[in-house]
Amino acid sequence: MSTTLADPPPPIDNTWAVPEIAIPATIAAAVAVYFVVKAVRDSVRTSDDFLVAGRRIGPVQNAVALASAPLMYSTLFIITGHIALNGYDAAMLLTAFTTSMVLGVLLFASPVRNLGGYTLGDIFAMRAEERQARKAAAIVTLLIYGMFTIISLAAIAFIFNRWFGLDNVAGLGLSVLVVGLVTVFYAYTAGMAGVTRLLVFKAILTLTVVLVLTLLVLAEFNLNVFDILDKAEQNRKDVPAGYDLLGPGREFGEGQHRLVHLSKLFCVAVGVAAIPFLFLRNFATTSGRDARRSAGWASMIVVGVYLCMAIVGFASVAVLGSERIGVIKAHRDISLPKLVDELGGPVMIGVLAPIALLTIVGVYAALLINAVTCVTKDLNVVRGRKPDPAGELRDIRRNTLRIGIASVLVGVAMLPVRTHIFIPTSIDLAGTAVLPAVVYALFWRRFNTAGLKWIVYGGTALLMFLVVFSNGVSGPDDAIFAGANFKFIDIEPGLITIPAGFLLGYFGSLSSKERDDKAFAEMQVRALTGGRAPAAARTGADGDDRPRTPSEAR
Amino acid sequence: MSSTDSSADGDRYVAVHGSAGFKSLQRQTNSFLIRASVLFFGWWFAGTALAAFAPGFFRQEIGGPVNVGLLFMFLTFAVVVTVCATYLRYAANRLDPLTDQVRAELEGEPR
Repeated sequence: MSTTLADPPPPIDNTWAVPEIAIPATIAAAVAVYFVVKAVRDSVRTSDDFLVAGRRIGPVQNAVALASAPLMYSTLFIITGHIALNGYDAAMLLTAFTTSMVLGVLLFASPVRNLGGYTLGDIFAMRAEERQARKAAAIVTLLIYGMFTIISLAAIAFIFNRWFGLDNVAGLGLSVLVVGLVTVFYAYTAGMAGVTRLLVFKAILTLTVVLVLTLLVLAEFNLNVFDILDKAEQNRKDVPAGYDLLGPGREFGEGQHRLVHLSKLFCVAVGVAAIPFLFLRNFATTSGRDARRSAGWASMIVVGVYLCMAIVGFASVAVLGSERIGVIKAHRDISLPKLVDELGGPVMIGVLAPIALLTIVGVYAALLINAVTCVTKDLNVVRGRKPDPAGELRDIRRNTLRIGIASVLVGVAMLPVRTHIFIPTSIDLAGTAVLPAVVYALFWRRFNTAGLKWIVYGGTALLMFLVVFSNGVSGPDDAIFAGANFKFIDIEPGLITIPAGFLLGYFGSLSSKERDDKAFAEMQVRALTGGRAPAAARTGADGDDRPRTPSEAR
Repeated sequence: MSSTDSSADGDRYVAVHGSAGFKSLQRQTNSFLIRASVLFFGWWFAGTALAAFAPGFFRQEIGGPVNVGLLFMFLTFAVVVTVCATYLRYAANRLDPLTDQVRAELEGEPR
């Protein structure tokens, strides 16, 4: 624990946290969320209800739930502080996230839902040998789950430190444990239906907060955005690299260094769209058309929020001045609470603390459902297990508890390790091992089992190799092994591995004679129309037209 | 491949895949998506490359604190909304009616 929160100097003097308001507010929020989740518990009668909310999530609800995904700790808290410190270059990250959402709208949302499966494995298995496809899907899904879970739980520790003023090791570990287990319990209670409710609840609160903060800073500057920008430039913290706040340079720098920030932007823009737990939630919508609509609306909502976040980020330094914002990389997430304290005082800090926690709780709950779905639908097939339909829901619920509790314990145990490298690495992994495979599966006639294996295993191996020799593992002070230096690349590995993933899939497919034009025809027709041939619809292979089970018919 | 539908259905998918209705749906979908993607991603990648390699251009002031870079960022947000709105409208007006026809052809009783 000491290393996670052993903040590099200058020391953070947390004068803003008000635990006497934040703790009761958090307990109240936890109870409120429980009732929000419990309200849909009775609708969960079958495994489909648990895993994909019975595919009953309407477009509006899905849009809001999707829009809550890009509002996590690393965006809402870190990027706003990043903008306060590094200005223009940091704000470019926001455009990268929205770019990725457009990728999701244009390529994924409607075709994926039209196929009507549950997991990444369902998509891969249409174009490759089933067991191999599901094994590859399970490996990449669970790897991303593992990394994202660990950083989400670490983010909970940071929120307790920044927003609750909690500073001792045991207390932080215990807090993460409690919040993690409560989240598992939410997911256990009502599955995807409950988690969707939770995400909607989170999104509404977070959107309100961002809007209120934006209005407060606008009011501070008489509704003049230009004044905010002018003042932000005047108050800029001078960084060693030099450069103004409002123009490019502070992160891009010069010479070779330019590629470092460029690679980060590229990986976010291409990779985020392919993170399984984000785009697979489209399976829970009512139809392909609704998935398309909700993804489009979600992008528009996110654009609005990000515009506000850019204003809030610049306003932080305009209001607080150059020394009171977080002035080094590790402290970027203190700028926002300090701004809240300045504008709204202790009550607002106290009230926002549980909302800060809720942003992570929502992400982790969605991740957990994704992992459980993967284990149920992909891993069981790989291991040759056939759960009987009657006991499936009970099995799934038990798995939710098992996987959830085990992950929370691992997450708490990992708190002492500096794992921030897992964020870019899981985004890179999605771009390297998921994006090419899904794009080829949907659009390329020649794609086959060998191509899939080359992408998933080759891409993952290449990425992991490069990550081990990159900045997050050794070299800088905030690396996992800060004392050592065996890195040889500065850029984010995704810039190499994402194009490599596409190449691997291409050559891998050509290396094998396997070719199934019928499967390609079926994939294209089903992805584009959402229909099924009548015989298949009657017997219900693995899609949503599955015949009603007795319990559903009741 | 157990996860795809049975062989008789496979023939039906192949038949629909080759039908004029499906070809037209596919052409209209792809032509929109390719154009929208090239325009949008071209815009974003070009802008990002300019920020990295021609920072002088992005630092040029336009008026007040606003420079070319900030204008690019604002326009990107506007373009995101425009692309999404245009696609949703195009899909609802042009693609969905065609989709309904092809889907009926696929799901109708075998002839």
